[in-house]
Amino acid sequence: MGLPLFRAHDDPGPSFVAFAERQGLVRTSEVADVDVHATTVVALRYASGVVMVGDRQATGNYIASRDVRKIEAADRFTGLAISGSAARGIELLRLTQLSFEHYEKMTDSSLSLEGKANYLSPIIQRNNLSTPLPVLPLLAGWDRNTEQGRVFEYDGAGGCYERSDFATIGSGSPFAEGTLRLGYRADLDVEDALALGALALYEAGDNDPATGGADFVRRIFPMMVVIDAGGFRELSTDEVERRFQTIAERRAESRGVAGGSLR
Amino acid sequence: MSNYFYVSPEQLTKDRAEFAQKGIARGRSIVGAIYDKGVVLVAENPSASLNKISEVYDRIAFAGVGKYNEFDRLREAGIRWADGTGYTYSRDDVDARALANYYAQYLGDMFTEGQKPLEVEILIAQLGGKLRPTKLYRIAYEGTISDEPHFVVLGGDAETIKERFAASAPELESLAATLRHAVAALAGPERTIPVSELEVGVLEDRGMRRTFRRLHDDEVTGLLE
Repeated sequence: MGLPLFRAHDDPGPSFVAFAERQGLVRTSEVADVDVHATTVVALRYASGVVMVGDRQATGNYIASRDVRKIEAADRFTGLAISGSAARGIELLRLTQLSFEHYEKMTDSSLSLEGKANYLSPIIQRNNLSTPLPVLPLLAGWDRNTEQGRVFEYDGAGGCYERSDFATIGSGSPFAEGTLRLGYRADLDVEDALALGALALYEAGDNDPATGGADFVRRIFPMMVVIDAGGFRELSTDEVERRFQTIAERRAESRGVAGGSLR
Repeated sequence: MSNYFYVSPEQLTKDRAEFAQKGIARGRSIVGAIYDKGVVLVAENPSASLNKISEVYDRIAFAGVGKYNEFDRLREAGIRWADGTGYTYSRDDVDARALANYYAQYLGDMFTEGQKPLEVEILIAQLGGKLRPTKLYRIAYEGTISDEPHFVVLGGDAETIKERFAASAPELESLAATLRHAVAALAGPERTIPVSELEVGVLEDRGMRRTFRRLHDDEVTGLLE
């Protein structure tokens, strides 16, 4: 690639996608790929941030992978989770991370959280309307202007919707959503939010064949992430294991019955 | 009948060089120096928002003197080139030398073929790692590229500042000492530059992927004390 210089009237500005399309670095293909997908990721707001929990399993006709990372830091204060086509989703993660960094370097300032959420809309729209490999992300982060955690979800055509409480994506979301609806309160603290998020994911893994649960044999656990004023922080394997162990023990006591006081 | 006057290539080159040098000499200078743990770039810049120093990539920084609109366009092209290359291949494949060569070619082309040469001088700094050494590449208005072992001075008064800095900092020192000497060299014996008119950026490993960091005024004050 030569030095990409542009005249002022057709300069692509700080948008990496606008630049990459001009250079032909990003293209949408007509060729169908094996559609590996199905997932559960939840994001929920609590008093001073957001919590994200996501499973690790990639599913085709069989389990394609047990340790996929479906949540990544898009930048220091933003988490991005993917569901749908694994190929397109991972590409979306890369492109998004790079785009936010590109904007920062070009302008010496960060995009607002809302700006980041809106930036994804046309990318999702273009992908989903031009390929048979749909991708649906979930964006959550700490808004440094309003000093609160915020959650954004998308529809298949790229529409961006902010949620005031929580959002779920993937094939397991009905089960996760049910759990969150019953357990969610606006004044959750971070520990409660993590416990509720883990429980929602446990339920999804328990009911949806395409969502991976806690794998105590391989010690592969869902990803748990906290984003607050200090930035994006992923919980260690031990911290996650402890939480899923607690749920599993409780569930063993009740012989698998989920009812009662929201086990 | 067209009225073309013959101008010899020597004369043309001389005129263009003079023109570019005049433009560059109008701006304030920049010192880029390697210190024991990284690279520091120090610019005298009265504006807090029109930057002369910028991050380009994980281990690469840019500094420019001369006409702001001209070097800022080069800065943007450099970021695009780096992000585009890293996206296409891998982050490890983004090499400052390749970028410096592109700049050199472009500036060389503009010097010989452009309406006017660019009135800029730029510096591409690379923090060394496992794959590459720490380097300072200086690219002049006519496309001359040089690879400086210890420090670089860009701008109009480069020769004097260079002598001052070389005399005060003959070898690699700490960040604080390097910064002190760079600021003293920029200011000269009769002048002090207020901290608010200094723009300072460093490339230093802090256990993170991105190594560029701007130093705030209080940090600079602290280091200069």
